[in-house]
Order: sequence, then C-alpha cells, then structure tokens
Amino acid sequence: MTSLLSHNPHTNSIGYSFAQPTNAGNTEHSYTDNGGSVLGITGKDFAVLAGDTRSTSGYNINSRYVPKVFKIGGEDETGKDAHILLSVVGFAADGLALKERLDAVVKMYKYQHGKPMGVRACAQRLSTILYQKRFFPYYVQAILAGLDEEGKGALYGYDPVGSYEREQCRSAGAASSLIMPFLDNQVNLKNQYIPGSGEGHALAARKPEPMSRETVEQLVRDAFTSAVERHIEVGDGLQMLVITANGIEEIYHPLKKD
Amino acid sequence: MLLIQTSIGTGYDLSNSVFSPDGRNFQVEYAVKAVENGGTSVGIRCKDGVVLAVEKIITSKLLKPGANKRISTVDRHVGIVSSGLAPDGRHFVSRARDEASSWRGIYKGPIPVSALANRLGGYVQAYTLYSSVRPFGVTSIMGGWDSEAELAVDGQGYYGAATGKGRQAAKAELEKLDLASEKLSLHDAVKEAARIIYVAHEDNKDKEFELEMSWISSLDGPTQGRHEEVPKELLEEAERAAKRALEGDDEEEDEGAKGTGNVGERMEE
Amino acid sequence: MNHFPGTWGRPRDDVYGPYDSSYLQTTGPKTHTQSPAVTGTSVIAVKFKGGVAIAADNLASYGSLARFTDVKRLRKFGDAAVIGFSGDVSDMQYIDRLLESIDIRENYSAHGNQLNAKNLHTYLSKVLYKRRSDFNPLWNHILVAGFDSEKKPFLSSADLLGTTFSAPHLATGFGAHLAIPILRRLFPEERSIEEISKEEAVSALKDCLKVLWYRDARSMDKYSLALITQDGIEVHEDQQIEAQNWAFAESIKGYGAQTV
Repeated sequence: MTSLLSHNPHTNSIGYSFAQPTNAGNTEHSYTDNGGSVLGITGKDFAVLAGDTRSTSGYNINSRYVPKVFKIGGEDETGKDAHILLSVVGFAADGLALKERLDAVVKMYKYQHGKPMGVRACAQRLSTILYQKRFFPYYVQAILAGLDEEGKGALYGYDPVGSYEREQCRSAGAASSLIMPFLDNQVNLKNQYIPGSGEGHALAARKPEPMSRETVEQLVRDAFTSAVERHIEVGDGLQMLVITANGIEEIYHPLKKD
Repeated sequence: MLLIQTSIGTGYDLSNSVFSPDGRNFQVEYAVKAVENGGTSVGIRCKDGVVLAVEKIITSKLLKPGANKRISTVDRHVGIVSSGLAPDGRHFVSRARDEASSWRGIYKGPIPVSALANRLGGYVQAYTLYSSVRPFGVTSIMGGWDSEAELAVDGQGYYGAATGKGRQAAKAELEKLDLASEKLSLHDAVKEAARIIYVAHEDNKDKEFELEMSWISSLDGPTQGRHEEVPKELLEEAERAAKRALEGDDEEEDEGAKGTGNVGERMEE
Repeated sequence: MNHFPGTWGRPRDDVYGPYDSSYLQTTGPKTHTQSPAVTGTSVIAVKFKGGVAIAADNLASYGSLARFTDVKRLRKFGDAAVIGFSGDVSDMQYIDRLLESIDIRENYSAHGNQLNAKNLHTYLSKVLYKRRSDFNPLWNHILVAGFDSEKKPFLSSADLLGTTFSAPHLATGFGAHLAIPILRRLFPEERSIEEISKEEAVSALKDCLKVLWYRDARSMDKYSLALITQDGIEVHEDQQIEAQNWAFAESIKGYGAQTV
C-alpha cells in the first residue's frame, strides 16, 4: 500500500508564489537619490556653503527650487540669529530629518546652557547623530559650516555614517567628482608650481593663501556653472549662504534649467 | 427613613459603595447635591435635531465672555452638556471622546449615540463602587444624531432632559412642549431651550449667567448632522425672545407655574 | 481516525509524504506590506491666481485589472485643504481615517480647524517618513493643495519614502512624465502664478487628464477635480473627459515616433 510518494517526499520543491524570499527590512527600497550638489569653502573670517536647488528622481525634475543648505539653531523658521550652516545632499527626506534633529539639538543646547553651541561641538554632535544610525544610515553627505572660537571660517565634511574632518573646502553630491578636483586646484592650489623656481623636484609648489570673499563667491559660481554643463542632476538655481561675524547672508543665482 | 434625617456622624457616608441600614448610598446623594447647585442644563430632542442649552453661572467678574465652555463636542455628531462640578464634567467628556474615537478605531465609523450613552453609563456607575474614587459631581445630558435623534442620560433615551438647580421648573416647561409628538421644529426648539433656561434661572436669580447653546440637526438641516454651537445671531434672537416671554409671563407666573414643580423628577428617586 | 487528535485531518505521511509547511513561513518578517495591491494612478495639480486646482481619475486598479471604477482619490480636509492620493488605495483609506480623527480632535474646540494645508503636508510627510523608517511604508504618493499661513496658494508633494517637494505644478506617477511637460509649456516659470486664471488652470488639467487617458493604461476617463480658493473648496466628482478623439491611434506605430 505504500505510495511511491513516500519514497519521494516533495519537500522544498513546491514554488508557492507567496513563499518568495522576503525583502522586508531590505533597505534597497527605503532610499532614493534626489541628486544635486553642494560645496563649501572657508576664508579667514567667513565660510561659504552653497548648493544647487534642483530636486530629481531618476530622469524627472521634481522641482526647480528645493534648498539643500539650511541655517541651524535659528529662533524661527526663517533662521533668525542662526550661527551654523548645514548642507545635506543625497536622499532628501533623510537630509531634512537630519537637519531638523540637529536644529533641535542646537536649540536645546542654547536653552540648557544659556549660550550658543560652538561649531566644534556641533560638528562632533552631528557625527554622533549620524553614527547612531550606523546600520540604517541617513543616506546623505553633510557639510557643516560656521565660525570657530577664533572667528575663523570652519568647515566640516561628513560621510553618511558620521566619519568627519575639518577642511578648507569640500564638495559633495552628484557632481562632487567634477567640483572637488577644481577646488583642489583653485583653493588648495594643487598641481600649481611657481614658474622658474627650479627643475624637477626643486620646482616649488604654490602655497595656498587665504582668499577674499569675492574670490570665493566667484569660485563657487564657476564651479556650479561648470557642473551644470556636465551633470544632468545639477541646475536650476544656486543658493549660497555666507556666514560672517555679522551673521548669515543668502545669495541666489539662477542656473541653466536644461 | 425618617429616623435618620442626616447622614452626618453615622459613618455610612465615609466611603463609596457603603449602604446605610435603610438602603441609602450617601456618597451618591452628596454627588446629587453638588449637581443641585450647578447651573441648569436642558436638552430637547425634536423632529429634525437636538438642542443643548446651559445656564452658565458667572463665578467671577474676571471671566471673559464665552470662556469656560460647559457644552463640549465629543465626536462630530455628539455633544455633552453638564451641570455640577466643571472639572468632573471635563473628565467625563474626555472619557466620552476616548470612547467615541476607540469606536471609530474598531468599526471605522461614528459611534451610535445610544451605544456611547451606554458605555458612559457604565463608566459613571463604576465610580460609585470603589473606595478609591468618588462619584461624579455632575449630571450630563448627551445629544447626538445618528440615524435617529437621540437624547440620552445614563443610557436612557429621552425626548427632553434637564439637570442642575432649576431642573424642576425646566422639566415642567419641557413637558408642556409635547415633544413625543415630534411636532416641534429645530429652530423653535432653540428658542424654547433659551426660554426654559431663562425660566429656570428664576431659581438662581441672584447670580449672573451666560446662555450657552449648541445643536445637532438632521443631515439635510443647518448643521448636517454635526454638533455645533448655535450661531451667534440665532442665539441672540432666541435670547431676546426668551426675555420678552419672561416679562410677559411675570403677571401670570404668580398663580400658575409653581404647582407643577415636581413632575418628572427622575434623578432623585 | 485514531486517538491522537493532533493528527486528525492531516494527510498521512506514509501515503503523502511529510507535510511541507514551508509556505506557512513562520520565520522572517512580514512581506505583504512591501508592495501595493489596489492602486490609483496619477494625481495632477496647478496653482493659479488665488488658489489651486487638483485632479485625479476614479480608477483603482488591481495590477492590470481595472478593479474599481468609482473611487474618489481626492479627499477634503475640513475647508483647509484637498489631498490627492496615488498609490495603494487601502493605505489611502487608512490615511483618510487618520485625517478624520485629527479633524474631529481639532473641532473639539469651537474655533474649528486651525490647521492649514501646509501644516497638513508637514504632518503627512512625517507620517510617511516614519512608516518607511519602520520598514512598513504607506504606499502612496500624495499631493496637498490649499493655502499656507499667509493665505498664499500652497501645493506640495510627499511620497512613500517621506520625500517632499513643492512647485507651481506637480504630478505623481505617470503624470510626472506626461502631464508635467504639458503644464511646463502652458505655464513657464517666467509666467507668474498671478497671470494664470482659474479657468485656464482647469482647462490645462483637463487637457492633461485627456493625454493621460490616451496614454496611461491604468487610467480612466471618469475623474474628480477640486478647486481650492479663498471662497472655499469645490469638489466636482464623477466628471467625464470630453471631446475624445481616438483617430490618432490608428496611425501610431511602435512608440509613436516610428513612421514606416
């Protein structure tokens, strides 16, 4: 009476449609890239943080004006009396969530200590916030800018999980691979040598010197107009925030919309 | 019963849920006393809606007009007015809101007014049972509109209801309206409610008051089945009419109205 | 039948082989929330002088099946805003109930609902972001139309990941490909919103709906259109796409560009 089947138990071989491998908890569907680029440069007594205002999903332009650079720790939604800038590029929803968390932290610091949070402390705090989500990261590249204890421009660049360093300049986002080398060359004067200073190894490299605000602003505009030509996710508008001892100034330049 | 005229000193009033030898529950009676001194509330159920009204006693000259509302919205289609201790009333309303929203959470639709009245009846009753709590110092009137108009106190449907200091006079007036025949229109009910509050205020004449009124009409009526404040113009019109009716009545009042006092006294049985 | 109740009703192993319970999937996370089931297609909207117009068709599809043909995907929130939903219909109904409970709470006090469309959009985008962060997304892309706190026309979008953006005209799903180019041509950036009349906005939306009906296989020709102005909200439901002309269809070869 024993059936043939008992010798051939049909285990593991039935393709039930609802027993497909699961992808819940798979972060693949939890992110999107909204494109765009940001860049920051510091000077002797100022820092500039700028970003284009295009928002994309794939080949779609979602909107021509979605700012990526924010004032942190301001009194109201206009950012009055803020003294720190943050730019976020990558997944915009995470960027916004990160900005709101940091903004809350900086506000709480002021209420609890009765003095504004320094950029150095804020930079460390931002790193901690990012690292807390090490296994489900905020999918953003962040740049933080402000003035340090001595009033010098301060700029901090981050990776998505909180690794950070203070730098003279940093570009992030879709066109960072286009902008960063330009900045290396123009801000840190990489590969620039003093003509006739010597032959071979004796050829002296140009030493970077602090730049004026006008020079920096022009550099930023050039970086973006060039990036717009070569990267489809960059364009529409350039938002530039300049922080000095007098506060934060916002400058907007139209960019090509193609 | 006459042997114990007062509960003081007998010890039977020291805790909730304790009966006296003659079957009375003093804590509950004290709660009723709290209500007796509260401003009068009335509710009228008519053919195309429900009206709630309250005589809000002004306890302080510093109170802003319209502040400290005594009528509350529980859900879109239900309102509650209460006489007695205001904080108890607010807690009661808060419970009613929780019940109404939890019903929506389960059934994805509005709670029937009778079901809400039932649940709250159970809630209020539970506060007579435990030594850790005291009974509510309020009597509330709930009005709402689902498929049919329903006016409810403690789970019972009524055509009209009145609580608070002037309830006896108010109930007498309500009975004259012949609400069971469903002939009264909602607009007339608003005016009647205002008049009845003014009549009931005769019992509380030394205190100033503010008339507060809300209504719920049928779906094709002015509030579309929602519980809302009676619009300012209509309220003022009703208030003027009430004052006029009262002045006109003054002469007859002396002989007439006093005898009808204790008809329909349910709460105190 | 034997005296082991646990085996009653089960296939005998010696006859049928051991029971394969793999489909019961007792381990691993839930998966049925990871994809939409019954879905609505595009929502489109434009700002105009003094308000916002928004439209969506009445179809709810189950895959390629046109499952429900009278689904209202524009929802009013008090008299403050209209929300247009594309994506999963059951998630839409959930969000709708969520909004209803907020509206009830807001109306406990007699001043009525103080929330404007901007507040609502902020709230909804946070709900969507929270749910995606819990790996349990609400499968919708929504447009919120109404006014901000300064009484200026407001139009903004939020998707299942919590991404938000705002623009003078917006469209979800297929509309982002087909309607946006039409709207950008009709209402270029140089043209201020103040120059766009209500009638022009409505006729533009109707044109877009028609193109979507011609080209989006998950769309239909019955739709709802809402107008939000300072005078209040008008929702026109069960509208019909007029003046259809399918003559072009015969001549189309391939993706449309092909001529031979």
